[in-house]
Amino acid sequence: MQREVGTLPLAPALRARLAAAGFQTAQELLDTGPCGLSKEIGISREEALEALQVVRQECHGDAARTAGGSGATRKCTALELLEEEQTQGFIITFCSALDNILGGGVQLTKITEICGAPGVGKTQLCMQLAVDVQIPECFGGVAGEAVFIDTEGSFMVDRVVDIAAACVQHCHLIAEAQQEEDLRKALETFSLENILSHIYYFRCRDYTELLAQVYLLPEFLSEHSMVRLVVIDGIAFPFRHDFEDLSLRTRLLNGLAQQLIIIANDHKSAVVLTNQMTTRIGQSQSTLVPALGESWGHAATVRLILHWDNSQRLATLYKSPSQKESTIAYHITSHGFRDVQPPAVTHSTEGTELNPRKRPRTEEGKQ
Amino acid sequence: MAAKKLRRAQLSQEMCERLSRYQITTCQDFLCLSLLELMKVTGQSYYEVQKLLCKVSQACAPKMQTAYEMKLRKSVNPSSAFLSTTLHSLDRVLHGGVPCGSLTEITSPPGCGKTQFCIMLSVLATLPLSMGGLDGAVIYIDTESAFSAERLIEIAANRFPTYFDSDEKLLCMTRSIHLYRELTCCCVLKRIMSLEEEIISKRVKLIIIDSVASVVRKEFDTKLQGNLAERSNFLTRGASVLKYLAEEFSIPV
Repeated sequence: MQREVGTLPLAPALRARLAAAGFQTAQELLDTGPCGLSKEIGISREEALEALQVVRQECHGDAARTAGGSGATRKCTALELLEEEQTQGFIITFCSALDNILGGGVQLTKITEICGAPGVGKTQLCMQLAVDVQIPECFGGVAGEAVFIDTEGSFMVDRVVDIAAACVQHCHLIAEAQQEEDLRKALETFSLENILSHIYYFRCRDYTELLAQVYLLPEFLSEHSMVRLVVIDGIAFPFRHDFEDLSLRTRLLNGLAQQLIIIANDHKSAVVLTNQMTTRIGQSQSTLVPALGESWGHAATVRLILHWDNSQRLATLYKSPSQKESTIAYHITSHGFRDVQPPAVTHSTEGTELNPRKRPRTEEGKQ
Repeated sequence: MAAKKLRRAQLSQEMCERLSRYQITTCQDFLCLSLLELMKVTGQSYYEVQKLLCKVSQACAPKMQTAYEMKLRKSVNPSSAFLSTTLHSLDRVLHGGVPCGSLTEITSPPGCGKTQFCIMLSVLATLPLSMGGLDGAVIYIDTESAFSAERLIEIAANRFPTYFDSDEKLLCMTRSIHLYRELTCCCVLKRIMSLEEEIISKRVKLIIIDSVASVVRKEFDTKLQGNLAERSNFLTRGASVLKYLAEEFSIPV
C-alpha cells in the first residue's frame, strides 16, 4: 500500500502528471477516488477509473505476495522441491549411456542446450525426443506432446516416421514380454498417427518470427496443456547473420532465455535448444566453441556438446548442476538414437531398464 | 514477414502514426524493443502493451501444422518428393534421390565431376514426369564459367536417345535451362534475391549454383580481419533465401 506512484505500471504520461500533482504513494491514489483524481490531474473520469483499477490490481498482487500465496514469486522449502523433483519424469533418449550421464534423461522444467558441428546429430536427437516424450507413463515416459520450432528447415517428416515406428515396435516388444493388460491398453493410443499428430511444428524464417512465436507460446501451451517438450532447432541460425548491432542481439537472446525459463517452469515442460559451433581463433590454435557468445552460455541449465572423434560420435555433458562431466559414445541408426553396443539383455530386463518406475510393481507381482 | 508494416498487423491508425514518429514502422522494430521502451513509446500501460505485443506477434508468427499433416501432404504426392538421379545405388542411399524442398550440397576435390553431375541433373529435370523428371525449367547460376552447352546436348542425346530423337526436342530442352553467369559475391546474392519472380514466371523446377565456394574464396581472404564475419554473413544470407525458395516452391536446390 505504500508503493510509490513511479513504480506502478501506468502509462508514462499519466505517471508524469501524478508526480507533478504531488501524489507519492498508491494509497493516496486509492483514497482520492476516481472523481477527485480526474479533477486534480485533469483527465477524464473513465481514465481515472481505469488507472485506479490497475493500482488496485497491483496492490492486491503485492499483498498476496507478502502473505506467501501464489503470485509471480513462489517460495517453498527445499523439501517440497525434493519431493517434486523425485516424482518428475525424464524424457528418455533411447540411448541408455546418454540417459545415464544426464541423470535419467532430459529433465522437465529445465533448459537443455545441445551444441555440435553440422551433421553430428542434433536434429536427430531433437526428433528422437519429440517422439520419446509421447511414450505412455506405464512404459516409463511422460505421456506428453511436443512443440517443434524449426528455424533451419532440417525437419524431415519421413525420418520422424522411421523413428516413431521403431519406438512403437520397441514398446510392443516390451508389452508382449511383460504380458500386462494396462501396457496393451496404452499401446492402443500409442500409434504412428497419434504420435505424428501430437508434434506441433512451426517454421520460423527469421528472428522476428521466432520472437513472435515465443511471445505467443504461453497462450498456445495453456490451450494444449499436454505439451511437455518445446524444441527450438537452431536458435543460433537466425541470430548469426544480418546482425550489425551485437548488443541488440545479446539483449534479444537474454529476453528469449528468460521467457523460455518461465515457460519451462510454469508448464512443467522441458525446453531443448540446439546451437551451432563457431571457431574461436586463439593465439596459437583455434578451438570450436558454442556459438552466440559467452553470455548465452548462462542461459541453459544443462549443456550437451556433440562432437566427432575420428568416425565415432561422442556426447559430452559440458554443464550440469547435478551430474558430473563425462563423455559417452552413441550411434545414429535407422531407428534413431542408440547406444554403441546395445546391452546384451533379454526382453524382460530390457523392459525394466526402460521403466524404472515399474520395477516395484513387477517385483510385487512376482511375489 | 519481418518487414511487415504495423499497419497490416491490425494496430489502430493513431497508434501506427505515433510509433512512426519514433521510426518504428515494421513488426521487426516493434518486437525488438523491451517492454519498458514500448511503454514509453506507445504511452500505454503495462497490460495494454502486452496485449499489443500479442497482436503484433500473431501477425508475424508462423502457422502451426502437426507432423501428421505434413506426412499426409507428402504421401498425397509421392513422386514429387524426389528428383531421381538415375544412379540406382545413389538413389537408394539418398532414399529416392535429390530431395525436393531442401538444399543439397555436392562437394569434392577438383576434377571429380561436380559440374558434370549438375549438367546431368539439369537434363533430368527437364524430362517429363513419366520418365522420372520434373517437367520444368532449370536455373543454373554459373560462377566458374564451366558450363558447356555442347556437353549438355551430348549428354542428353547419348543418355536418352529415344526421347531426344529430334533436334527440336533438344532445342526445347536447352531453351528451358536458363544460365546466369555471375562472377562476384554480390552479383550472386542479387541474383538469388531476384529468383522468386523468375521461378513463378518460368515454371522453374530446379536451381543449381555451381559453385558457391569458388566465388567466396576468390573474394574473401580469411586471413584478413573483418572478412570472416562478412563471408559468413554473405553465406548465411544466401542460404536462408535459398532455403525459403526451396521450401516455398518444393523444388530441389
